[in-house]
Amino acid sequence: MRRVVAFVAAAVLVASACGANDSSLVVYSGRSENLVGPIFESFTEETGIEVEVRYSPSEDLALLIQQEGDQSPADVFISQSPGAIGLLAGQGLLAELGDDTLGLVPTEYRSAGGLWVGLSGRIRVLVYNADLVSTADLPNSIFELTDSVYAARVALAPANGSFQDFVTGLRELHGDDSALDWLEGMERNQAATYANNSSIVQAVARGEIDMGLVNHYYNLRALAENPSLPSKNHFFDDAGSLVIITAAGILSTSQAREDATRLIEYLLDADAQEFFSTETFEYPLASGSTPAAALSSLASLESATYNFDDLSGGLARSRELIDASGLEAP
Amino acid sequence: MRVASKRPRSQSHYRRATPPLLSIAGWVTTLVFAAPFVYLAWETTRLGNFFDVLGRSDVTGPLLRSLALASATSALATFIGGWLAWLIVRTDLPGRRIFGVAVALPLVIPSYVAAASLRAAFGPGSLIGWVPRPSGFLGALLVLTAVTYPYVYLPVAARLRTMPASLEDAARSLGDTGMAVVRRVVIPQARTALVGGSLIVALYTMSDFGAVSLLRYDTMTRAIFASRLAAPETALALGLTLSLVALAVASVTRKTSQTPGTAPNAAHMRVYSVGKYRNWLIAAVLALVTLALVAPIGVFVVWWLRGGQGVVDSFAALRDPAVHSALAGLTAGGAAMILLLPAAYLVARRTSRTAAAVDLMVAATFALPGLVLALAVVYWVLRTPGPIAGLYQSFPLLIIAYLVHFGVQSHRSTTAAVQAIPPQYGEAARMLGSGPIRRFITVDVPLISPGVIAGGGLVMLSTMKELPATLLLAPLGFDTLATRVWGAAADGFLADTGIASLALVAISALLTWILVLRPAQLVAPLQSASRPAE
Repeated sequence: MRRVVAFVAAAVLVASACGANDSSLVVYSGRSENLVGPIFESFTEETGIEVEVRYSPSEDLALLIQQEGDQSPADVFISQSPGAIGLLAGQGLLAELGDDTLGLVPTEYRSAGGLWVGLSGRIRVLVYNADLVSTADLPNSIFELTDSVYAARVALAPANGSFQDFVTGLRELHGDDSALDWLEGMERNQAATYANNSSIVQAVARGEIDMGLVNHYYNLRALAENPSLPSKNHFFDDAGSLVIITAAGILSTSQAREDATRLIEYLLDADAQEFFSTETFEYPLASGSTPAAALSSLASLESATYNFDDLSGGLARSRELIDASGLEAP
Repeated sequence: MRVASKRPRSQSHYRRATPPLLSIAGWVTTLVFAAPFVYLAWETTRLGNFFDVLGRSDVTGPLLRSLALASATSALATFIGGWLAWLIVRTDLPGRRIFGVAVALPLVIPSYVAAASLRAAFGPGSLIGWVPRPSGFLGALLVLTAVTYPYVYLPVAARLRTMPASLEDAARSLGDTGMAVVRRVVIPQARTALVGGSLIVALYTMSDFGAVSLLRYDTMTRAIFASRLAAPETALALGLTLSLVALAVASVTRKTSQTPGTAPNAAHMRVYSVGKYRNWLIAAVLALVTLALVAPIGVFVVWWLRGGQGVVDSFAALRDPAVHSALAGLTAGGAAMILLLPAAYLVARRTSRTAAAVDLMVAATFALPGLVLALAVVYWVLRTPGPIAGLYQSFPLLIIAYLVHFGVQSHRSTTAAVQAIPPQYGEAARMLGSGPIRRFITVDVPLISPGVIAGGGLVMLSTMKELPATLLLAPLGFDTLATRVWGAAADGFLADTGIASLALVAISALLTWILVLRPAQLVAPLQSASRPAE
């Protein structure tokens, strides 16, 4: 018992010694450390501004920021999905960005209200197992997946933010009725529901299921670790291959907007954009940046045309449609 | 000596009024543990009508599946954990010292990592193709049992450790043999620990999201997770439903109680010979260790090696997270051992309303998903004026959150230990003129130590693998091995997932051995066995 008391005392001392530094920037990041950490480090090296980061799923961070309200310690929020950051924008929790910052990104990849900018893009794709699916069988349109040819062969992750954002995009482009029809069609076609993108890519790679709807870069990363995998990405010609952006905004409660702005501009700088392109296999969104050679051009996709503000605002409705389709009941 | 003495509550010692300090401590504990429910109830009411929301969403299916999985996992984990404890503490099973550590370790593997690795280990296209891939109800049952049976194993082992040989000897002298002694003496004596463990497994299963989602079994937590941002009123109403169910489950298990202990004497603890079953039992334990520990570890190693990263670099980057994990685990475990003692005394010795309230509230918070619990903590801390709000995202607050979430693990184990103190001891010490503090230190502490340490150990291990609350409540930059595992796994960095998971298992193993298994003497002595059981 004495040992325990001594230990607790020691632990409390250590903990109180590592208190937060007031002059630093606090970032809530929905991008995981592997996908953004090195950029924060070089930002600190170049500017001398310390960056303290809380890494969590974007949805959880959005809930946390809502709960914190005007007491949030965060200055910058980086979201993996437009849904989460759009929700905060709609609730007045984000500050308007300056024109200089907004000007770094094409209008289609930033919020119309100037509350957030896109950093990088992921494309929704069909990942398929090349040993099990012949290229002739691959669909050109997302709507073909409700055909009986694809019965019980397609994996989805309906609880995942990216899928919910995709449904919002589908509604935006084709209307709620078409979106619900498609969801119900997938349910009738015995689409298999999985937890998330990663688990779908792994399941496809080992032949557990023929194909699945995911963001494009999960398979590229899986292949980077294990090039012998039979999983391949297939792009749709239509809304199936939407762009899902990752985005950053400054909290309206931030007391360090100047430093926060510098960080966001740094994330849109050529070096950071190249990091997103070459290290994480994403599409850089800053004006003038070009995707890595391995990635096809963004402009060729229908997805580049819709309004991300609507995409984020419609999250609740998309959730209702997914629930109504019965897709998730096993 | 009677084999079954009267229940403690009929004795005069327990009919004295509850000391005021104990009462106050009980109410404070109750209030702290009730805070998440008040938050859920309040926010649900604020955002909409609870019954409307439930009526709109398809709640019956997920709720029934949650309950089915929780009861099946609880039953299987109790069966496995109970027998393992017996084998390792009370028999001469060869290799029991190593098994004793190995079988406790699956507890530290986060359930989502266990699910992902077992799906990568077994099934067509996986490492071992001829075994069916875990999936659905059976898959979830298997994976969750593999990571939760130690919740039964550790407290029961602690109880068996202090159970005196005299009762068993008495039963044997009356003609009982083998299984009859187990059924008539051992199980009743270990009942509080068994039931406590099974409750913890049931609540854990109800709160789990990671494993069930990966194994594609649709429960309440999936519904909460899917709607948490898009439809918070639904998520909150479902969370409230889950906690009401947890309260009901906890109150059912409150009815059990065990007979009070008699003089424990570790030196005379009866050790049975496994005799002719030796090889079968070794095979069974090996099979369990293979499934719950070796298979996940094997997958971690494969992921790591396939990623082709430098060994030294990888582990060096994990030094800080490893220190943070150990610090958080040790502090939470230690704090649980001390801070939850009053509650254990109340529940073990009193029948007051305070005792009932504290027992229920401490249990039910464990069924809440970590995210819900974390948001409740944020809600209360930021609304409390003064120094409390200053604790926001500090280490002490993180520890409090762990305590509120995992307190039941220490509480049940400690309660079982306190109940097992033979009442005659306290009476004797009192007659010899000892004050309450002296009685506690000289009589109670030595007797309850194994149970208290086992409970603290459970909290430590649970803390080390905790993810959602750690992500939201830890001080900035306080990354743990569990958050590292998540950060890598979420985006498909399997090599990093493997290394961080290996580090988590290694550190937990070390701490479990040094701090839990050795001091609590949860492995049978090496001395030769006394007479065989059969």
